[in-house]
Amino acid sequence: MAVSSKRIDFNRTPLRRRVIASAIVIFWVCASAASVAQPDTVLRLGNPGEPQTLDPHRYNLRLEETLLTDLFMGLTTFAADGSTIPGVASSWQVSDDGLRWTFKLRPDLIWSDGQPLTADDFVFAYRRLQAPATAASLAYFMYPLKNAAAVNAGKMPGAALGVSAPDPRTLILELEQPYPHLLETLLYPTAYPLPRHAIEAHGDNWVKAENWVSNGAYRLQEWRPQAYVQLTANPHYDPAPAITEVFYYPLANEQTAYNRYRAGEVDAIATFPSGELAYAKRELSTDLRSSVQLSIMYLVFNTRVEPFSDPRVREALAMMMQPEVLTDKVQRSGNLASRSFVPAMVSDYEPVPGPQYQLSLPERLSRGKMLLAEAGYSASRPLEITLRYISGGETKRTALAIAAFWKPLGVKTQLHQAELKVHFADLRQGDFQVAQAGWIGENNAEHYLSLLISDTGDVNYGGFADNQFDALMAAARQEADLAERNRLLRLADERAVGLYPVVPMYSLGVRRLVNPKLRGWQNTPRDVHPVRFLSLEP
Amino acid sequence: MNSHWLRQALFGSTLAAACSAWLALMVLAALAGPALSPWDPQAINWDALENPPSSSHWLGTDMVGRDLLTRIMLGARVSLSVALIATAVSVIIGIPYGTLAGYLGGRADQLMMRIVDTLYALPFILIVILLVVVFGRSPLLLFAALGAVFWLDIARIVRGQTLRIRESDYIAAARIQGAGPVRILIRHLIPNVLGPAVVYATLTVPGVILAESFISFLGLGVQEPDTSWGVLIADGALNMESAPWALVFPALALAATVWSLNMLGDRLRDQLDVQAARV
Amino acid sequence: MTRYLSIRLLLTLITFWVIVTLVFFLLRLAPGGPFDGERRLPPEVEQNLRVAYNLDQPLPRQYLNYLSMLGHGDLGPSFKQKDFSVAELVISGLPVSLAVGVMALLIALTGGIALGTWAGLNTGTKTDLLIMGTANIGLAVPAIVVAPLLALVFAVWLGWLPAGGIGGPQYFLLPAAALSLPFVAAIARLTRGSVAETLQEPHITTAMAKGLPRRRIIRYHVLPIALLPVLSYIGPAAAALLTGSVVVEQIFELPGIGRYFVQAALNRDYTLVMGVVIVYAAFILLFNLLVDVCYARLDPRIRLRS
Repeated sequence: MAVSSKRIDFNRTPLRRRVIASAIVIFWVCASAASVAQPDTVLRLGNPGEPQTLDPHRYNLRLEETLLTDLFMGLTTFAADGSTIPGVASSWQVSDDGLRWTFKLRPDLIWSDGQPLTADDFVFAYRRLQAPATAASLAYFMYPLKNAAAVNAGKMPGAALGVSAPDPRTLILELEQPYPHLLETLLYPTAYPLPRHAIEAHGDNWVKAENWVSNGAYRLQEWRPQAYVQLTANPHYDPAPAITEVFYYPLANEQTAYNRYRAGEVDAIATFPSGELAYAKRELSTDLRSSVQLSIMYLVFNTRVEPFSDPRVREALAMMMQPEVLTDKVQRSGNLASRSFVPAMVSDYEPVPGPQYQLSLPERLSRGKMLLAEAGYSASRPLEITLRYISGGETKRTALAIAAFWKPLGVKTQLHQAELKVHFADLRQGDFQVAQAGWIGENNAEHYLSLLISDTGDVNYGGFADNQFDALMAAARQEADLAERNRLLRLADERAVGLYPVVPMYSLGVRRLVNPKLRGWQNTPRDVHPVRFLSLEP
Repeated sequence: MNSHWLRQALFGSTLAAACSAWLALMVLAALAGPALSPWDPQAINWDALENPPSSSHWLGTDMVGRDLLTRIMLGARVSLSVALIATAVSVIIGIPYGTLAGYLGGRADQLMMRIVDTLYALPFILIVILLVVVFGRSPLLLFAALGAVFWLDIARIVRGQTLRIRESDYIAAARIQGAGPVRILIRHLIPNVLGPAVVYATLTVPGVILAESFISFLGLGVQEPDTSWGVLIADGALNMESAPWALVFPALALAATVWSLNMLGDRLRDQLDVQAARV
Repeated sequence: MTRYLSIRLLLTLITFWVIVTLVFFLLRLAPGGPFDGERRLPPEVEQNLRVAYNLDQPLPRQYLNYLSMLGHGDLGPSFKQKDFSVAELVISGLPVSLAVGVMALLIALTGGIALGTWAGLNTGTKTDLLIMGTANIGLAVPAIVVAPLLALVFAVWLGWLPAGGIGGPQYFLLPAAALSLPFVAAIARLTRGSVAETLQEPHITTAMAKGLPRRRIIRYHVLPIALLPVLSYIGPAAAALLTGSVVVEQIFELPGIGRYFVQAALNRDYTLVMGVVIVYAAFILLFNLLVDVCYARLDPRIRLRS
């Protein structure tokens, strides 16, 4: 007997009812949950990526520095406008020859676990920074200290380091040579005090949330990988900040960061797709913050290996760089083109543009071709290289543009992308040929030029080593007078650019969206915004 | 095997004909498109970044000013060739395995099929990613890895088919004539399972295309300046609000191709079942 | 039935062992990997690896050591994430991936069975074509397209649901929805075919001829048998869901195992990649075994055979 062809009245079957009922329940739950308001003592911030570590001696990345600035406080610290003010030090004195700095610490300093903070914690920290076992990439920041380089190379014991604490509230720093920028250098995590008692008790596990001890406005509450880093207010920090809880989300994907900001899930993001800039200027003008950061984005050549061990190849590729095209046509996102390695924003320093810019573009092209031919490359044996870039919309676009710049030379460029922290980890290991790199730094020329000194360590990614340059830098550092110092630095700069270890591209424009209810947010040259200065309007 | 049922499956209904036409178009585009297009798929054009569709760029441009239509055709080349080669690899592994299992029968067959069952359960994309991570991003490895993952279905079908023919008079006659097992395998069994095997192979093609697009989307597959549909979709998703065409058109190409392959594959399989029932 | 299941269990264990061994050797063979002598490693990573994997010992010893590590649930140190071990990352990511996967499976089952039954009861009609056509679209449009679009529409434009991150069940809804679409389609297809077939069975047609209420017949006689193929599909579906979750976790920035896996793959964090593959494999094999047990209990043919 055939099955009846009468339509089954689906409307009456229980299955459908169940489905509809569940859908209603789910949406009701979501709607009610989504409308829960955020208390105004909780701040949610977007960080441009996931940190690799929170140990102040092992950090490397700007996004890690952002976290550490909230967690610790050094001898000096940032004011809300980005200038340098006293931190845990109440006063200091410099000896006449500029070689001896004596810091007086504030009374009654305590760590977040209630233990007293003394000058000994600084001595312990500075020695640990230079200890070879710590393998700190940024140990060279503190090389101005006497014997620091030797201790870091293992040639002298830690006790030989030029730091001492005659009494618990006095710290003495002895320098190799006069160093006018010391106060700025002390802003970095490499100069923070570390909780000796916690590190001795827990070893490398001291960075875990359950063992965490720090002296800043906040302490580490929880670090959930790829989800968030949660900070809570340090009960022993005075004055108590308005924001008691901070969540830092790793938002490396610009589009996701933008979506989440617009959905109201994040109060401030570090970047968003440049394609949205026009829209943001029109519709989100109260949220938009733009400025140019004290920074330099550049291409670095690995001078240790073929083909970039050959200076002709480096020069040929450098010839074809067009920073203005990159910023004005390809990126169009507020970045500032730079022909010099030391950013133009640095005070009291006349930037040194690369020598290639004295030629016209057609002249540069023919010179580039000539250099490559000399180095042994031709149409039958083209130069094949891999350009590494950081995953992301703008960086990918920039990498494609650079590959296009080099194409007329007959160069075949393969692109290789990696997540930000891994990109820089690979760079520090010298695992690349040519790569995008960037440095956000201090307001002095030698901070940038020291990236090219041969014994700086693994942040001299390309391993550039030139005796003459090293000698010129050493001579400059002997100089106490700032003007003369800068003059000598310029000579070193000119020497370096002629050898093309790096190709400068642009200074990073800051393109942020910040919740208008967030008070206390100011544009600063280094784009630093310690949370203790911020508050949320109810 | 007469070709009437093949024609019926591919062109029997308007929808089927449309799908076949689309696929033919994709193959044509992959083969000849980039050469015929006035735009160089690698040529970056500063002045035409992320342009919407216009008379000069029919589908618009991408984030560095490359013509999107040409890029999609170039992507078709990679996506389709990966699918073809991977499917070929899976057939090369699957047919001998399945035929052998079916022919041997009994315990050996049970064992071989149980192995297939357990392997079937594993997360194949993860294994492909694992291989890519360990051995690098060479396209050849990608094809081989994908093929090595998709052979299971083919092996199953072929084994079923072999079991069916094994006891037929035709094979018995060959045996009486003194043909040894290898000869039977090669000359009689395999040619007869080829038909269904190829049909089922077409059903794996969409799966391979999707797998390749996933892997490229994650950044582990094809690298710049080469491209595939997965890469184009990933790039399109980066700026989907300001330049939606960069996401929509590659996504449409991928979806339409996969949909057509699924649709035609279903029809082929239905026809095959009809044929088998007739026998 | 016990015999059937013990064979399955044995095969499962063997497969797992094969995978673990494969992983062990792959890790050691990887060019530029952690055990490649050429590579210059950061000292702290090298130290961790040396300690964890007994690199100074001969290979068989290393292998046994590795097996015993796994037995204790220790998956080794992460190659790139200095502050976490692989096991810690997996444990923190597992609940998230499970939540998304389970939600997606539920959506797929409810939606797929409902749609498939509806179509199967009305085969050949316009409704049937419409449902199946739409379902097939779910199969053709991949998660990499659906997910960003869902985020755009529901999170940014409408603001009903969050665009990413975690914090409560609503954070899993969009990812689960994006993930479940192809499975809704697959289950709908399966159910439809199976329902249509079962409707032709003699005992069903007899019952209908006798005048038993239609709804009763469908609920108590047709569906239980028709849904058996769906049950056996859940096993491979779980595997596919896990792999699909890799993509949606990436797009919605959910801190699940899939996300760690992709990041690890991009970062060449070999030990993390290996660890995740082992965990996934274990999970899936276990799940399939459970499904086999259920199936064996329900399918009278298997039950009666032994």
